[in-house]
Amino acid sequence: MKSLFRGEKVFVEAVRGIDLEVEVGERVGFIGPNGAGKTTSLKMFSGILYPTSGELEVLGCLPYKREKRFLSQITFLSGQRNQLFWDLPAKEYFNFCREVYHIPEDEFKKSLKRLVELAEIEDILNVPQRKLSFGQRKRCELVAGMLHDPKLIFLDEPTNALDLINARKVREFIKEKAEEGRSTILLTSHNMADIENVCDRVVIINRGKIVYDGKIEDLYRLNGFKRKVRVVFNGVWNREGVEKLGKVLSFNGQEVFMEVASEEIKRVTTELITHFPIQDIRIEDPPLETIIESIYKKEVEELHLP
Amino acid sequence: MGYFKLLWVFIKVGLMRQMAYPPHFFMMIIGKVIRILLLFFFFQAIFLKVDRIGQWSFEQVLLLFATFHMVDFLMSITFQRNLVQSLPRWVQTGELDTRLLLPINHLFLVSFENIDLMDLFSFIPSLVFLGYVLLNLPITLSWLQGFLYIILIFNALIFLYAINLMVATLSFWTTQSYGIGRILDNLFKIGRYPLDIFEGFWKAIFIYFFPLIVIAQIPSQALLKVLSFESVFFAFMVSGVSLIIAIKFWRIGIKNYLSAST
Repeated sequence: MKSLFRGEKVFVEAVRGIDLEVEVGERVGFIGPNGAGKTTSLKMFSGILYPTSGELEVLGCLPYKREKRFLSQITFLSGQRNQLFWDLPAKEYFNFCREVYHIPEDEFKKSLKRLVELAEIEDILNVPQRKLSFGQRKRCELVAGMLHDPKLIFLDEPTNALDLINARKVREFIKEKAEEGRSTILLTSHNMADIENVCDRVVIINRGKIVYDGKIEDLYRLNGFKRKVRVVFNGVWNREGVEKLGKVLSFNGQEVFMEVASEEIKRVTTELITHFPIQDIRIEDPPLETIIESIYKKEVEELHLP
Repeated sequence: MGYFKLLWVFIKVGLMRQMAYPPHFFMMIIGKVIRILLLFFFFQAIFLKVDRIGQWSFEQVLLLFATFHMVDFLMSITFQRNLVQSLPRWVQTGELDTRLLLPINHLFLVSFENIDLMDLFSFIPSLVFLGYVLLNLPITLSWLQGFLYIILIFNALIFLYAINLMVATLSFWTTQSYGIGRILDNLFKIGRYPLDIFEGFWKAIFIYFFPLIVIAQIPSQALLKVLSFESVFFAFMVSGVSLIIAIKFWRIGIKNYLSAST
């Protein structure tokens, strides 16, 4: 009965102790399991949410003040939310954006032409958005969000729920935009292809905390991960010689396939090259998904580079 | 972007939307006419038994009613639908996010985003009714009275805007604000009757605590030449103070916006 009269409010701390600095032009991927706080972080950075504590400065502004100066320099595209004015054709909606962002006419025409081509939406410009497919709508939203040439782009799961073709088109659009190098990009996605295509830095968040912050390629070198090495010898070799270097998965005299801890990989490959007659050597990395999954599961106790 | 320009964009969007969904003009007008006639007959029935309600004669009561109708109409085609129906929904679904990201005045956007000029068709019966009432008033009207009447109607809209905004802002904490909006809407409707029907406590409530007299009674008094300076001052004070409180309340509310998880 008590709760009938006095609703108890539970505050869930979505993000805690996120200490993050992003340089202009960086392309940062936020990864984390559902409920990790990725979207919440992005919403705080963009001023949608008001942080309960901590310091936050983006583009020299306090985002939660939602000043026009700040909002004119950013864009936030979500894979799920719908844009405004659902009944309008994309072309009319783009005109609305031109008015809202005060984009000069010639600049607007130029960037609209380029973005429309990039997003491949030439033939659907006059169709009311409610009549478009989900993928087509997302591509229109991408164009609308880029018309004012934002300095900071927030992308929250941009390829979510898209079919393969639309996801590819969206990814290519973002990649192209990223390669122009004028904008800083913060992207969240469960799709590793999005991250690998666009980002040069990855931040892994779990339970509202940053558990990894670094380059994507460095993820493969994290302590505790096993990497696979395939070696082809010149002639036949004996098994004992290679067994002391790592766990042998298969061996046929001429070729060995072995598992080596990532912190050992440098020492092992040097030893192989120095002491064995090698024809070919190849290091195979686990898929990024596997690494990320183990980080979520805390299989890797200490996340530091060797 | 200037507010008028933005308003023009909203109107354009409203027109395009209406073209997508053909409006039911005739049904809207017929509904309106029936409602006006019903209340007209209701008052007529009362005045068969009595000569006056308090200080108000039959023609004066009709003026009050027509004035209320006009204020109510102007409110419904501009901010009421946006604040009481759309805003709570946007808060609940997280659709407010997109709006908060636009570099325009967010309060203005959420107050006037949906404007339907097609609604003007349903204004015709109200205007015809007001014209009929004015022609039947046994007084001659001056320009000054007309001007004051329009200003006081505008003032009434500010007061109603403030109240609607306060109710809509509640949606940042509770999803029940739509229900509260409905209750308030019914309470506003008391404003179409002369407040002389109430006595003592209730009369004081509707004058000072929930000043319904600001909505239609004070503007009507301007045309009836019974308006005091104190009443005009009171009406402006009520609207001004309510608006300041409402905007402050909105600012607190928007800080508490939690968005919706994706």
